[in-house]
Amino acid sequence: MIWRAPLRSLTLRLTLVYMALFCASVGIMLAVTYVGGVWRPLRQVEAQVTSESDALVAIYRAQGRDPLIRALEHRSATAHSRMRYHVLIAPGGAVVASNLVDWPKVTGREWLRYEFGTYATGTEEEHEAVVRDLALPGGYRLLVGLDTEDLDEREDLIFEALSWGAGMSLALGLLGGLVMTFAVSQRLDRINRAARAVIAGDLSGRVALHGSGDDFDQLSATLNEMLARIEGLVASISRVSDNIAHELRTPLTRLRAELEELADAGDDHEEVKARTGAALEEAARLQSMFEALLRIARLQSGPREKGARVDLSALLEDAVELHRPAAEDRGQGFITRIAPDLVIDGDRDLVFQMVSNLLDNAMKFAPEGGVVCLDGQPTPDGVLVTVVDNGPGVPEAERSRVLERFYRSAGSRTEGFGLGLSLVAAAAERHHAELRLEDAAPGLRVVIRFRT
Amino acid sequence: MHVLVVEDDERVASHVVKGLKGEGWLVDHVADGRQALFQVAAETYDVIVLDRMLPNVDGLKILQTMRASGDSTPVLILSALGDVDNRVKGLRAGGDDYLAKPFAFSELLARVEALSRRKAVVQETTALNLADLEMNLLTRTVTRRGRAIDLTTREFSLLEYLLRNAGRVVSRSMLLEAVWDYNFDPQTNIIDQHVSRLRQKIDKDFDPPLVQTIRGMGYSLRA
Repeated sequence: MIWRAPLRSLTLRLTLVYMALFCASVGIMLAVTYVGGVWRPLRQVEAQVTSESDALVAIYRAQGRDPLIRALEHRSATAHSRMRYHVLIAPGGAVVASNLVDWPKVTGREWLRYEFGTYATGTEEEHEAVVRDLALPGGYRLLVGLDTEDLDEREDLIFEALSWGAGMSLALGLLGGLVMTFAVSQRLDRINRAARAVIAGDLSGRVALHGSGDDFDQLSATLNEMLARIEGLVASISRVSDNIAHELRTPLTRLRAELEELADAGDDHEEVKARTGAALEEAARLQSMFEALLRIARLQSGPREKGARVDLSALLEDAVELHRPAAEDRGQGFITRIAPDLVIDGDRDLVFQMVSNLLDNAMKFAPEGGVVCLDGQPTPDGVLVTVVDNGPGVPEAERSRVLERFYRSAGSRTEGFGLGLSLVAAAAERHHAELRLEDAAPGLRVVIRFRT
Repeated sequence: MHVLVVEDDERVASHVVKGLKGEGWLVDHVADGRQALFQVAAETYDVIVLDRMLPNVDGLKILQTMRASGDSTPVLILSALGDVDNRVKGLRAGGDDYLAKPFAFSELLARVEALSRRKAVVQETTALNLADLEMNLLTRTVTRRGRAIDLTTREFSLLEYLLRNAGRVVSRSMLLEAVWDYNFDPQTNIIDQHVSRLRQKIDKDFDPPLVQTIRGMGYSLRA
């Protein structure tokens, strides 16, 4: 991918930007060194040459040629940190005085940097000097200069460093950038490949981890978690739609059977009445099932409205009172511990249905003559509602599945749609309440933690 | 009694109109929101049955317009959106009752009649009776054939609701709503157990039985 459109690779672009920044910083560093180490000293030398040459010109103007020659000789003989150079040329071109081997024959400029040959140390040496070229009255030409060989060397060094530095950093940056781009694009390619496999329909595809735990591994791990969740949801959706189709088959078949018999019933009034009643019962059952399904779906996806204050203590007492006759018919008893003044924010009907479903469920699983406990107790940050039965309980492995739509555990009697606990789960989520299933040894303990 | 049915689905509308006419109501029917607004302004009704999803003008909009213009005719909202949130929205917009589709006609009738009674400010009844069963609402006592029957508070409310709706079918969710004041569809037999206890007390030693189970629909108190 990167080789096809190199400039579209983010890594390569970043590398180029960093390389440019790096070169610029090397350049700035060298420029600062140049200004401090070469440019400024050169200006100082120029200033010195100016004052010396101005003094020499003044001597010439005041006293004439010979005193100037004496002054020049005296000047070059005097010890100074820089060698002093001079050339005095007569109008005809004859050299009158000089301590140099050669000099620029003609120049148009006043200031120049020139490579002189010199005998200063006995042997001829190439030295660079800053020279002032002056035309004196009377046709004489005077060149006065100071040695700047050290500055010249320093300047060469800086330019050399600049060219090497820039070249090396360009080369290294380019190489590093390509390696980095390649490495990153390989990691991204893995993620891309995994994503394409998922798009193509293989939901079990996962991004291979590198094992180093770096940023890409963390990203891949997060993506893998997301894929696992999506796979789980898709599996549960397809299970649910399979189940809906399956669950519909039975009541629809029964409804059809009742209607067919009704069509055959003829004038038998009792038979017509019985069949109509049975058909209506099946229709009502279908309707209940659909309403429960829709309700769960809406709870899971619908907009959340702000709840009202619900008197939970009274609600729990009402729920027990509503279920007591049905429980007593099975010889089951309720044990309740409901603290007074429990208040939560929520939908009163929905909370009541949650509790009612949990009590239904507990009564379904508690044995004849068994006990169902309902507790409502305050906690520092809310209310804890607990429903416990002394039935067979739910094995650990099955606990998350009993919340799925249409799931009925093996010990369950056939009545009910297998939607009760799903609705409880959806309603709990809507109330931001935590729902937990625990082993009550024996039996099942369902805990709802409301936060206020 | 004069009722307006605003419903755009032809099949549902004819079912409701036929049923209400059969019960002796004078029924007008419109299928369109704009027509409904016109009809509501032109006529006086005892009850209006209003579908939420209508062509041209939304049901809730009609309701808001009515209430804004000071029309306090009781309105029963019909809706396929049988969710708690929608129910609350409908009632907040000024609806007096809410019935989710699909519904049993008996339930619609019971709710329409309840609403018409609400408007017709009948004088406060102090006694209800059916055949030889008598209920005194002041002393909160029940007798059958002159014999006192001891009922719990809840059983008393249950019987009161059945007596007020004597001859009509009431569903389990209507009972749950009227007697316990909770609104949801009880999918198990919890209500049945309460009714059967009541039946034990008022029917067991007497003849004829008054509490009838109507299969697939609910209960009815009949002599």
